[in-house]
Amino acid sequence: MNLKRFLPLMAVLFVAGCGSGDSSSNDKNDVKSVSSDSDKAKFKVALLTPGPVSDSGWNALAFDGLQAIKSEMGATVDQKESSGTKIADDMRTYAQQHYNVVFGHGFEYNEPAMKVAKDFPDTVFVTSSGGGTAKNVGAFRFDLEEGFYIAGYMAALMSKTGTIGSVSVQNYPSIVSTLKAYAAGAKAAKPSIGVLPPVYFGVEGNIAAAKSATEQVIAQGADFVIHQANSAAQGVFDACKEKKVYAFGSNANQNSNSSGVVIGSAVIITKTPFKELADAVKRKVYTGAIGEYAMANDSIDFVLNPDLLKQVPTDVQTKIKDLASDIKSGKVKVPKDKF
Amino acid sequence: MEFISLLQYAAPVALAAMGEVVTQRGGVINIGLEGAMLIASFFAMLVCYTTHSPYLGLVAGVGTGVATAGLFGFFAIILAADQVVVGTAVNLLALGLTGTLFRSKFGQSGQLLSVGRIPAWHGVDPLMVLMLLSVPALWFLISRTGWGLAVRACGEYPKAADASGFSVNRLRMQALLIGGIYAGLAGSYLALVITGSFAENMTAGRGFVAIAMVTFGRWKPQFAFLAALLIGFAESLQYKFQTYGWKVPFQLMIALPYLIALVVLVLVGRGASSPGSLGQPYRKEK
Repeated sequence: MNLKRFLPLMAVLFVAGCGSGDSSSNDKNDVKSVSSDSDKAKFKVALLTPGPVSDSGWNALAFDGLQAIKSEMGATVDQKESSGTKIADDMRTYAQQHYNVVFGHGFEYNEPAMKVAKDFPDTVFVTSSGGGTAKNVGAFRFDLEEGFYIAGYMAALMSKTGTIGSVSVQNYPSIVSTLKAYAAGAKAAKPSIGVLPPVYFGVEGNIAAAKSATEQVIAQGADFVIHQANSAAQGVFDACKEKKVYAFGSNANQNSNSSGVVIGSAVIITKTPFKELADAVKRKVYTGAIGEYAMANDSIDFVLNPDLLKQVPTDVQTKIKDLASDIKSGKVKVPKDKF
Repeated sequence: MEFISLLQYAAPVALAAMGEVVTQRGGVINIGLEGAMLIASFFAMLVCYTTHSPYLGLVAGVGTGVATAGLFGFFAIILAADQVVVGTAVNLLALGLTGTLFRSKFGQSGQLLSVGRIPAWHGVDPLMVLMLLSVPALWFLISRTGWGLAVRACGEYPKAADASGFSVNRLRMQALLIGGIYAGLAGSYLALVITGSFAENMTAGRGFVAIAMVTFGRWKPQFAFLAALLIGFAESLQYKFQTYGWKVPFQLMIALPYLIALVVLVLVGRGASSPGSLGQPYRKEK
């Protein structure tokens, strides 16, 4: 095969193809060299995500937050998938186009943000988790652990088999931390409960693998399964439906899923933090900080499925409510990893 | 029941691999197999979603699978372009196209979809039966028919096939489109039998695994089928292992099926059974 001759073409195709998955066209972003004054006057917000925003999970949440900024503040918004070495370049590109805020939806954006922010004092960089801050760099910390803790607590109280489990896409630090909280919540309710080690299926969107993995988790005796499967979550729910066990939704409220087995959801509400932050930048009062978003400020919630409420004993319902208010008031401390 | 579930999860790779055997015996490597499967998955789901008929979805899945293979064939066979390059382009096109259409139809932030599935009887669905029947049927087609002989000639030494009065490109195209049918079936199986759903990049590399299974199965449909079963078995096994909580990185667990494939390949690797002109476009005037 005389492959060498085609290598340049392959490279071009590859670059072109990579962009085609993005919702926003790359070409649009590249027109940047001449920026008019009216361009500077507009309030502009950009979002970088590690994966497709159509994942009904982590990335979709950030996108919803961005849309809220667009519709309620009239800002110009743009979104792009960006990972690895591309992150710093994409941040620079947005900053050069005079974006006021650049969100990076993950801890991996924090380090590049710290570097890039030095060169662009007029742009604020905010990442979802991550520890570094500066005058124009800050971070969100969504304490989804609190929702997972309650889910684990509830599962342990209701489990008939005495075993509960989980299925997730990858062992990202943010995911691992929530799964630890799930186990901790379960142990808090019932020290004898068996929590299966986390099972991972590796590739985003691999619904069939998520389903197969869930079947194995159920085969090991789990009758409650929580997930961090993002766009592959349907596979988890379907397996639970076929084996007649309960599932928990995560990130978004997935209680209304057609499978009818989602008994409750651990939810992140991104709208408020995204908007608050954009608003602070707009009013020029933003100072770099790590904003903690938890149940206490209504950014995390655990929502029971009203259609399945009859399946949840009333004393369990009361205990869940009490636990939620104890977490809110700080009486119960939910374990959280630093990342 | 365990075995049927194994057949079910192995079916997408098995179907695609058996079709790809036919394609490769004709001398064409369809690197775009992954893309054909992904496009088939998407359209099978979309048609089933809009018409509420999984059978119409299946027709759409197989149709688009064949069409994607045809697109590959137009460049790789008729225009004699490099098969790896064209295949890569087809895969990227499929990822972008299905992603864009999915978002425009179901919203930027996506949806967890659930569409009707092809009914099964005790876990046995019609496509699974078709897959099992395809093992002897494709073997017969390749090894015991005049057409199969001509296709194999195109894969081994196309000049000889040409000199005997066969149109090399036509035969290769036919073999490729049969592969396309199976890619379409594989993608549809994923969307309409296993999951009843769709997500971006749902095929998650199964097309590439299928190509590997062709080599693993020494270009014989029956062995490619068995290879796909073995990999499927190892895959379900590793999920079980993960629940045991051994201190092994899960990435290694997920790689387990491929490690097994590699070991088997090394053990049985003797003997050059690959088609002699595999991957080389045929130009008449050369």
